[in-house]
Amino acid sequence: MQTSVTSIGAHDSAPLPFARNLAAQIVRDLGGVAILAVVALAAGLVINRYSSAPLPIVYRTPEQRFDAELTTLVSAPPFKIAPAATIGLDKFRSAVDAKSTLILDARPSSFFEVGHVPGAINLARDDFAHDYRKLSAVLDANRDKPIIVYCSGGDCHDSKLVANALLSLGFSDVTVFTGGWDAWSAAGLPAATGPSR
Amino acid sequence: MVGRRIAGRYGAFTMTHTDNSRRSYAVLALSLAIAAIFIYAGIDKLRDPLQFADSIAAFAILPAVFVNLLAFGLPPFEIASGLLLLGPRTRRVGALAIAVITVMFLVALASALLRGLTLDCGCFGPGAPSRPRMWVELGLDSVLFCGAVYVYLQSMARVSARI
Repeated sequence: MQTSVTSIGAHDSAPLPFARNLAAQIVRDLGGVAILAVVALAAGLVINRYSSAPLPIVYRTPEQRFDAELTTLVSAPPFKIAPAATIGLDKFRSAVDAKSTLILDARPSSFFEVGHVPGAINLARDDFAHDYRKLSAVLDANRDKPIIVYCSGGDCHDSKLVANALLSLGFSDVTVFTGGWDAWSAAGLPAATGPSR
Repeated sequence: MVGRRIAGRYGAFTMTHTDNSRRSYAVLALSLAIAAIFIYAGIDKLRDPLQFADSIAAFAILPAVFVNLLAFGLPPFEIASGLLLLGPRTRRVGALAIAVITVMFLVALASALLRGLTLDCGCFGPGAPSRPRMWVELGLDSVLFCGAVYVYLQSMARVSARI
């Protein structure tokens, strides 16, 4: 009995100090990581403060931001309306080829500039009120004509938000191309680049 | 640099000379690669903070109060961790910092996958939300985590070897 205890102790004596050193070192280094995190947060707050478009400290969802944007256009947006109808790639493609339908890209302008459907105009959900005012002449000319909106694809909400906003602003025929930019580019269809007009 | 110095100091006297220097070159190469990835990812996130905040919010883990704070703090944290990895003396803290955030990413991604969410991870700049991409990023995060832990343990072994 006595010998077995001693032998276990003898075997353990080698790895134990290393394990203890390791644990102590990790705790010390985690302190360094914590300091790094505080410094990074401070730096991040300063960067945000002096950026061209500072964000608020508390996050607002795209829907909340969009509501705020819309209230700068109309005092009380009539929001509760039926959602816009959707179309697939084939119908969208023929509308693009016919060049008779106004195609709107609801993605942020940085995405639009990298690649968009030829002939599309950028009405970004991100910057809706600004873009809406800028495009008012084109949009007003299409108030009663068909308009198709798209965004990235997948589960993106931008096209639906923009389409519903347009419907609530009195546009009569607005549909959403749900496949979006992903479906368009995956089908190997042509792309245009550069800023919106 | 590091490998050569250690090889020079101990090389002539030890049997494991090539083994040691090979290992320190591996640590150096791994550190450079991880540093490059995180500095790039950090700078990329700084370009569009709003998009990044939306990516964080899509995980539906953090309450709104913390989302923007994480969006402010994470990019500088990633860049700083990458820079710390480059210096031999600061490498340990940098590697641990990267191990900590990769664990954070792994937990967030795994929980999103388990909850059936399809989202844009936001790990390396914005993109279209897709589940296959989430799995790829989960794998990449695991590799980065293992790399950071390896660099951390190796840097520590070096410190204790010097004492």
